[in-house]
Amino acid sequence: MLSDDSSQRSDLPLTGCRVLEHSRTVAAAYAGRLLGTMGATVVMLEPPGGSPLRTEPPLLEAAKQSALFAYLAAGKRSLLCDLRSPDGQQLLAHELEQADILIDDTPLRERKDRAVEPSDIAERFPSLVHVSVLPFGASGPKADWDGEEVNLLHAGGEGFLLPNGLSNERFPDRPPLKIYGHFSQYQGGAMAAFAALSAWWAVPANGGQYVDVSVQDAALSVGAFALQRLGDGSLEHRSTRRFRYGGVFEAQGGFVELLTLEDRQWQALVELLGRPAWTQDQALNDPLERSRRGDEINRHIGEWMSRHAVEDIVHRAQQLGVPAAKYRTPAEVIQGSHERSRGLFTPLTLDEGLEAEVLIAPFQFQCSRRPAFGRVPAIGEMKEQTE
Amino acid sequence: MNRALAPLNGIRIADFTIHAAGPFCTQLLAQLGAECIKIESKARPDAFRKPHAVYGRMSAATFDQVSVNKLSVRLNLKRPEAVALAKRLVAISDIAAESFRAGVMQRLGLGFDDLRSVKPDIILLSLSSCGQSGPDSHFAGYAPLFGAWGGLGWMTGYTDGPPVEVRHVMDHSAGIHAAAATMAALHQRRRTGHAQHVDVAAREVASAMIGDALIQASLGMTPARTGNRHSAMAPHGVYPTRQPDRWLTLAVRDDKQWQALVRELGSPAAADDARFATIDARLTHHDDLDALLIKWLSTCDADVTAERLQRVGVCAHVSWSMQDIANDPHLRARGATTEVSGPDLAPRLAVGAPARFSKTREVGIRRLTPALGQDEDYVFGELLGLSSAQRADLEAREVIL
Repeated sequence: MLSDDSSQRSDLPLTGCRVLEHSRTVAAAYAGRLLGTMGATVVMLEPPGGSPLRTEPPLLEAAKQSALFAYLAAGKRSLLCDLRSPDGQQLLAHELEQADILIDDTPLRERKDRAVEPSDIAERFPSLVHVSVLPFGASGPKADWDGEEVNLLHAGGEGFLLPNGLSNERFPDRPPLKIYGHFSQYQGGAMAAFAALSAWWAVPANGGQYVDVSVQDAALSVGAFALQRLGDGSLEHRSTRRFRYGGVFEAQGGFVELLTLEDRQWQALVELLGRPAWTQDQALNDPLERSRRGDEINRHIGEWMSRHAVEDIVHRAQQLGVPAAKYRTPAEVIQGSHERSRGLFTPLTLDEGLEAEVLIAPFQFQCSRRPAFGRVPAIGEMKEQTE
Repeated sequence: MNRALAPLNGIRIADFTIHAAGPFCTQLLAQLGAECIKIESKARPDAFRKPHAVYGRMSAATFDQVSVNKLSVRLNLKRPEAVALAKRLVAISDIAAESFRAGVMQRLGLGFDDLRSVKPDIILLSLSSCGQSGPDSHFAGYAPLFGAWGGLGWMTGYTDGPPVEVRHVMDHSAGIHAAAATMAALHQRRRTGHAQHVDVAAREVASAMIGDALIQASLGMTPARTGNRHSAMAPHGVYPTRQPDRWLTLAVRDDKQWQALVRELGSPAAADDARFATIDARLTHHDDLDALLIKWLSTCDADVTAERLQRVGVCAHVSWSMQDIANDPHLRARGATTEVSGPDLAPRLAVGAPARFSKTREVGIRRLTPALGQDEDYVFGELLGLSSAQRADLEAREVIL
């Protein structure tokens, strides 16, 4: 059984778009994943032995495969191609003849040997959109620097700012903390998908072109607000970057995120708390005064939260219009009634025939059918098809 | 900067988005050349036009990243005439974008079907906290709530600590995903001539960041919160150096890189230590390894060490503050950071073009935060053909407000 069923994709937005993905990083693989979810046919070129992402943690013991790779490769095709060999380079050229977009994360110093030099490709495939996705981009003084997620999140500025709030209060002396998984690389991948589709849009007027995407740039881009704050005169730090009141609170049975930005939300919060005496101070009707007395307010909220069950708090809060959410575990997300109702997940067959569920995509096209993935592609399964 | 040489030249957006996630999305499209008309009102000013007291900003922002390159017009959408004008703007646009809670646009008379009736091939982007359907679709939320609902907040944290608030990056991440999905819908329109409604739920973007953990959970496993560690790399983490609060991030992939690190940091004895000889051994003794790294790095300059380690093929980078980002020649050379200034704006840095294009090079910031209603001569006058008298009348009756 193959991983792709093109008959089910006839009305997805990128139907007919063909993407060649040569990836060893999460960023490039996620770019391909997003384009595939939108309906493109995405062919992974895998080296002998398979993509290094096939062994990236976390691993699924029962299926003897990587959960990360299963997530990133769902819906793609796999073609074995050794770009260091003449046969592999010939196969690359053959595939590029049919491709609209190439996603490549080959480090600069290896590109010539693997026949993925941008100038050569532009000359031979003038209508192709060639997207380079590298940790620090393909130009600039650090273009040859390498980085894993922990480096990139900090190179983009967000790592230095975490953790904030309750975690920082409890562990003020610990090192800064990365976001789970591959957050920066997902931003790089999403930016690469966006840039690829923008360049593809311009093909009728301008022909194909080369696009240089940097994971560091993307990480900075999503952290733009902190740079804006610097321009305003505030250098943010994890120990001081927090909302004046609100944030993470420990309740009975879990943790709550609470944030009230509007006056009506503050009034609803007062209602949620049962209108205790301290909230009746007229001065607190002024949002600026509330900000000045944020620590005091948070002490009261924290004490109240500690006496109530998390599910009761968030249920009542949303009824009253107080923005509040439970910190949900992955199990709660995958079983969530909201997610189920929206069809966020679809079955995915893993190695050993194991059946899992996988998140389809963080967007839906209301006028199109949802994609289905089938199984995680085996190494070189496209070759098997042709034999 | 010539917008004609940008990839999205010719695309027009009627932009109803507010706050951060939606505006960040349309700002990305505008940086790549789209003409973005921000529809707003004095009656309900966007967050950057007023104090943000909860965040400690006691006045309006002087510069707003997510509003760059945008045109501003005023419409009081509580008035039917304003809604009719908004529809006329949509009719001459390629994309309409909004970030209200599900149902608000329909109540305003600007739902997908309403917009399709005036522009049969419109692309409507709806970017909300919980999406356009489902039992939670009416929930209000901001960035930290997206991470909490979506599971990313739970998975982020010290292994023995509470979950962590994921903040503005969550808004902007939703914006990038929305921009990509919107472009896909435009391609579909080019191929089929059909309209499309793109539904992005920011909490689902947070869930997409833990896609691997969700597969584990679907199999009954309990995904581990890993903190700064990695289960296949050691050393891996964030380490103190000689300077206070100047941290070095390290990720050593294999034994060869470990040997290179040992050579650079000048402790050859460690190369023979069986506890650290192989990746499995280093993972087993990661606490001891971290103690050793902390000792070595206690005399090291973070920046010099990062450069030295990069030269020998080890992934290393200093944990950068925004001041470091602002000072960095690499980011400046790429245009990832760019200086902006104006008559009422002292020179400052902003985030520039999201990617570099070999042909459609003219991408990036062309103009700064618009004043409220700054572009009504062009939009209401030239594009919609309203006369001065008509506009004055609409303003007097608070349709334009």
